[in-house]
Amino acid sequence: MHWSRSLPAVRPCRRAALALVVALLAGAPAQAAGVDLYAPRAFGYLIGDTISLEAVVTLDAGWRLDESALPRPRPVTYWLDLKRLDVKPETAPDGAPRYRLTLTYQTFYSPLEPRALDIPAVPLAAHKGDARQTLTIPAWTFVSSPLRELVASQRGNPMALQPDIRPRPYPLAGDARLAAAAAAVAAVSLLAFAAASGWGPFAGRHRPFATALRHMRRLPDLDTQLGYEDALQFLHRAFDDAAGYRLFGEDVHAFLAARPALTGEAETIDRFFTASRLAFFGDAPETAMALLPPEALIDLARRLAATERRSSIQNEAA
Amino acid sequence: MHAIADPDGALAQWRARALDFERAVGRIVLGQERVIRLLTIAVFARGHVLLEGDVGVGKTTLLRALARAIGGAYERVEGTIDLMPADLVYDARVGEDGRPRVDPGPLLRRGPELSVFFFNEINRARPQVHAMLLRLMAERTVSAFGREYIFPFLQVFADRNRVEREETFELPAAARDRFFMEVQVKAPEDFAARRALVFDPRFHDTDLLIAEVPEAIIDYRSLDQVSREIQSAIPASDAIVAYTIALWDAIRTPDKAGIALPGVRMDRLVQGGASPRGMSYLIRAARVRAWLEGRAIIVPEDLRAVFPEVMAHRIFFDPVYEMRREEISADLCRVAFATVPAP
Repeated sequence: MHWSRSLPAVRPCRRAALALVVALLAGAPAQAAGVDLYAPRAFGYLIGDTISLEAVVTLDAGWRLDESALPRPRPVTYWLDLKRLDVKPETAPDGAPRYRLTLTYQTFYSPLEPRALDIPAVPLAAHKGDARQTLTIPAWTFVSSPLRELVASQRGNPMALQPDIRPRPYPLAGDARLAAAAAAVAAVSLLAFAAASGWGPFAGRHRPFATALRHMRRLPDLDTQLGYEDALQFLHRAFDDAAGYRLFGEDVHAFLAARPALTGEAETIDRFFTASRLAFFGDAPETAMALLPPEALIDLARRLAATERRSSIQNEAA
Repeated sequence: MHAIADPDGALAQWRARALDFERAVGRIVLGQERVIRLLTIAVFARGHVLLEGDVGVGKTTLLRALARAIGGAYERVEGTIDLMPADLVYDARVGEDGRPRVDPGPLLRRGPELSVFFFNEINRARPQVHAMLLRLMAERTVSAFGREYIFPFLQVFADRNRVEREETFELPAAARDRFFMEVQVKAPEDFAARRALVFDPRFHDTDLLIAEVPEAIIDYRSLDQVSREIQSAIPASDAIVAYTIALWDAIRTPDKAGIALPGVRMDRLVQGGASPRGMSYLIRAARVRAWLEGRAIIVPEDLRAVFPEVMAHRIFFDPVYEMRREEISADLCRVAFATVPAP
């Protein structure tokens, strides 16, 4: 809405206060209370238009606006509604209490020719303890214009229903860019999630033997019994992972039969399971280490990791 | 490499005899290698066995062959709804002289030499009979004619028909826990075995077939002693102890072990069971299996080979899942072994 803030239209209270100050000279308390009305343009209103008046009420220190005396949204006259009243308490630069009142009216007057209409004055009340004081938002006049000709100058019925306003194109480029950016972020997040969960093309990235080899190389004490048993366990977990279940020595032949890529390693894998059995269940870790020395164990893991890189030995069902 | 310390020792000779025994029974009963292996383990662990299976798959033939190979006496009783404990112990009849006579019944007839007692259709018999059988299994004694009868070499085999449920008495949990193993006997899958069983006249006359088994391949009188030696000769390493305990926990609280079965609430599935007696039986069976495989150590494979038969019937499920017991317990055992890491 076009809003032109005019100069204060009427300031009768302030003028009266000034007169009082002049009359009484110094000594009397300054009566500075007043209402400034800020109004939009005073012409060019049609039936159904809303008019917002802004009144700034300045009170003396200690005075309060009586909120119960404020007008409520209601039909003011048969053609004028007060739709809304907003009150915003403020403090003036000199510390005096100040209220900013916004009154929104709607006119339903249908004039036959341009015509001045009055929005009546609104009384306000303020109090300080038991002392009371009345203030007034002054009346305001605006010119309302008819919506149509009085007598049809062209063919056709001036009372006929006019066509709807054609929809205007809405600028979408900004929204489209936002949507594209959001889609790109979503796609990147989905890819990251798929990679983290090992979906689709990322599934092949899981390499249990490579992981086992990495862990085994980090072991500081591979030559001791404990380190050797840890290394055996890492390789066991890799076999479990590749098989999809806990692989025992008795299952090795079926496991190898399903994975031709490992046929060359059959003898060493067999030796690994025998050594593991001796170390863990036979209480003979020295015999196990003699059967499959730690270096040979690392070597087996390295070859298995390499085989795994070349061809999948992962259990598809796993 | 894992062979028992002294290859010429008594246990090694016994192992050769046990394998002979398996082969001899395997020639008579085709396609049941796993069942025969489990029964051999039960014989050398001195445990009682409950057989469960369809009608006519060869359970009786298998037990008769087994009894003949063990030696000693064999008795068989059919469970019926009106069978009372006295019918097992006494034989009441009218004698040749027309006077009533009470003789020893099927259980006492063969005296202490009784080595295999086969109770057919045990779930048809009444709870009184189950109670007597429980005592017979636990203590190997029976009271009759005012005194105790002791059966030092007795091994009880029972058979439960799972087709019919009418007019049957379900075995109480305590009775099932007393059985060392509960073995499922199914018709053989192998084509050659099925063809031979159906078309080869050799398998049609059971008496002649049983007669092919050499008598007393293993001496039933020594079995207790051999069993004790096996149990003490095969040690359990720390790793297998940890593995067994982890397995036990996994069965008792499968949800905590990360076991999930489709359509089953794992936190409610297992209500109880998996008793310490069951776990001790499991290790006993695993030791015998290790010995039969020619090893002096227990490995996880031994536990896995005997686990369903020794443990499954000791796990008690929530009533909601009890109707699907067979399927769920088999899955639970399988997934437990696929989940618990070893070593």
